[in-house]
Amino acid sequence: MSPNTSIAGSCTFTEDQLATYVIGATREVFSTMVMMDPADDYPLKESVNRFKCSITGMVGFAGTYSGVISIHCPIALALKITSNMLGVECDEVNEDLNDAIGEIANMLGGNVKQVLSKGGLDVKLSIPTVIAGEDYTVNSLSDSDCVVIPFNVGDNKFIVGLTLKKED
Amino acid sequence: MANILIVDDSSTMRKIISRSLRQAGLTVDEIFEAGDGIEGLSVIASGKTIHLILSDINMPNMDGLEFIKQVRANGSTVPIVMITTEGGEEIIKEAMQSGASDSIKKPFTPEQLQEKLGTLL
Repeated sequence: MSPNTSIAGSCTFTEDQLATYVIGATREVFSTMVMMDPADDYPLKESVNRFKCSITGMVGFAGTYSGVISIHCPIALALKITSNMLGVECDEVNEDLNDAIGEIANMLGGNVKQVLSKGGLDVKLSIPTVIAGEDYTVNSLSDSDCVVIPFNVGDNKFIVGLTLKKED
Repeated sequence: MANILIVDDSSTMRKIISRSLRQAGLTVDEIFEAGDGIEGLSVIASGKTIHLILSDINMPNMDGLEFIKQVRANGSTVPIVMITTEGGEEIIKEAMQSGASDSIKKPFTPEQLQEKLGTLL
């Protein structure tokens, strides 16, 4: 994914507005449910679509707006996130890890949906999808625009991306 | 002491809700869990005494809105509180019209759970 300054052309939001919403949603979810306070490093300096030893959680939007919100996270950080959410140590890639990262994507999606939707019925959220691997790429095959926000938590980094298209 | 049914497709969220209920100092006895509306209906049909249901909306197989309708159609009057990322006023209105008692938006704090659920338990 790469940042796209023309997002305002297909949405009723500017890229900076969407970035603000995503940053706010991410901070709220992490401070409330993960007990972490990530700092954003927006804008992204270098495009990222290849991930190593990472996990990606995604939730799709459909309706007035279509798109995907995703969180891409190194496995080491994902283990800390999962441990904090569950309140027990998680030290291996397992169903708990997948579920925790999927639920974060779900909460981010719900938060952004509130901004996109008039009341909640004109935009539908998908069930979360999670992928993990030693080396994989994530590419958007549509002409949707996107905003990508890097975050730092101590020495760890993760990325939250939002691709969005306003349907006719 | 109250028995609570948590209906959410995320096992992580079910654990967080369970922990938050106890952190909030609510008088909880047994907690039953279900991964979607169909499983939730099965728990109720098994005859367990349930004093409060906490349900997500966006779930596979049977979502929270259909789950509420089915619970009410079966004649149950147990309070149902939606705990969901779906904070839009129209979808919450639909949930309330279907028989929900209240709603809590994810993410939430134990204090918010206590504030919403304290009067129901």
